[in-house]
Amino acid sequence: MITPGTAVAFVRRSRREGAIDLLFLAPTLAILGCFLAYPLVYGIVLSLHDTKGFDLTNFVGLGNYAHAILGDAVFHRALLNTVLFTGAAVVLQTGLGLFLAVLVADVKRGTTFFRFVFFVPFVLASVAVGAVWKFLYAPYFGIVPTVGSALGFDTLTVAPLADPHTALWAIMVAFLWRFAGFNMVVYLAAIQGLSPEYYEYARLEGASRFQAFRHVTWPLLWPATFTLVLLTTLGTLRIFDMVWIMTEGGPSHATETVATDIYQTAFRFLQVGYAQAMAMILLLVILGFAVVEYRFLDRRAEAVSS
Amino acid sequence: MSGLPRVRWATVFLGALAVIWLYPVVWTLTNAVRSSADIDRAPWDLSWPPAIGNIGEAWSRGQLAAALANSASVTVMTVFAVLALSVCGAYSLTRLRPPGRAVLFLIVLAPLMIPTEVLVVPLFSIFRTLGLINSLPGLALTNVVANVSFATVILAGYFRTIPREVIDAARVDGAGRVDVLLRIVIPLGRPGIGAVAVLVSVSTWNDFGASLVLIQKPDAFTVQLALSRFSTFYSTDRGLTFAGMAIAILPPLVLFIVLHRSFIQGLTAGAIRR
Repeated sequence: MITPGTAVAFVRRSRREGAIDLLFLAPTLAILGCFLAYPLVYGIVLSLHDTKGFDLTNFVGLGNYAHAILGDAVFHRALLNTVLFTGAAVVLQTGLGLFLAVLVADVKRGTTFFRFVFFVPFVLASVAVGAVWKFLYAPYFGIVPTVGSALGFDTLTVAPLADPHTALWAIMVAFLWRFAGFNMVVYLAAIQGLSPEYYEYARLEGASRFQAFRHVTWPLLWPATFTLVLLTTLGTLRIFDMVWIMTEGGPSHATETVATDIYQTAFRFLQVGYAQAMAMILLLVILGFAVVEYRFLDRRAEAVSS
Repeated sequence: MSGLPRVRWATVFLGALAVIWLYPVVWTLTNAVRSSADIDRAPWDLSWPPAIGNIGEAWSRGQLAAALANSASVTVMTVFAVLALSVCGAYSLTRLRPPGRAVLFLIVLAPLMIPTEVLVVPLFSIFRTLGLINSLPGLALTNVVANVSFATVILAGYFRTIPREVIDAARVDGAGRVDVLLRIVIPLGRPGIGAVAVLVSVSTWNDFGASLVLIQKPDAFTVQLALSRFSTFYSTDRGLTFAGMAIAILPPLVLFIVLHRSFIQGLTAGAIRR
């Protein structure tokens, strides 16, 4: 029987117990505090100051932000490129991933093989992928001139990465090749988790393949779609590696992204405080997108799972 | 699996796509063992016999032996640190009862929204003060910060599937928290721990952004830095460049081929469970 005395002892003991339970998480919290939270706070401080090298000089308030938002054409271009690229990545990666997953799920044998093949580029380093695609896009030697000439077009000197009109979308193709497999794998796992009864029912109702997809598969996959849209957005707004390797943001800022702009501003031009202001703006953009997507997409995801 | 009539054209179409998908990878690996003259003559051929010499030359000229050793040591340090932190952390969050558990979970989750790119500038400044520029443990530290949240979230998913009754029974029998962790949680959570180890090692091996900023001395270069430098220097010597790329992509590729089930399971578990 529990007397008031033992209950108090129990509560008191469990408070100490709770502290011990917390100890297991403490190292993670300490690392995140020192090397994530503190840099974040210090980053805010940096962004509000003029800097000489990496040292703070004058407090300028929101001056760096104002300059980035109002007066920096390169930053505007970088922001626009980043958002466009992310929008395209979300639509194309999710679309291609779903398309591949639906096809691969329907294959009688070889599902594992196809899953493997389309996923392989995901594990390759961005430096290597960027370098390979640079070769594929080379004039004379690359795939566009080779295939074009074979088809009888005059394409020997076509260099997609050197042309400001095509460079960003050429990177997009390489990006899609690298990441579509991830989306496919997630969709495939979700499709394989769907109960066959739904399709049995759809078939009895006389639904066509397309109707079954439209009214059964697509709505039931909404939680996976939500997750992928969010992950792709978060992963693409920060894009740096592939762009840096393939074009360094050129030609004439046609492929500049916010991350490449931050890197150059901080480490080539040593405008540290200003670069950090751009980084904080990027963080706000990322959080803004995440919140909006969460608001609008999660509700539908919950409707499906309930 | 959709239970609808299967069509064979899909297999044919997928087969064609699979060839396109694999071509750049196979092309890189085969060009790695071709002479540059041969590549220039017919870039799209797969030639035989292999010119193994490229690999040796890329190895010595790109100082790849040192770079591989650097990447390996950063990867090993990162994986061990991330595992130690995330196993204990996920254990605490899912199978112990720290006060304010829901809030703690959000704190661990929040960094997933904050990419390294946003913090490189202050991190560089802090690392400079701490003398961690050009330091491999320093680079490992940034990789730990970049990976620990997602590792903890994935492991939390795995640990939640361990029945509480098993743990409670052991606790009643007098087992302490550490006993439970070592004897129950780690053995039963092994698939998840393995998946996290593979995912973290590939992401650390492939890291470029953080190393570009934090490592400036060539003798501390990782494979990715050596390769990016190398492909700029020797871009006209194509055989050599491809050899360098092949060396850089092979370790994760082999790891993925051997462990691809656990790799994909870990990723989808992390992505689907929210």
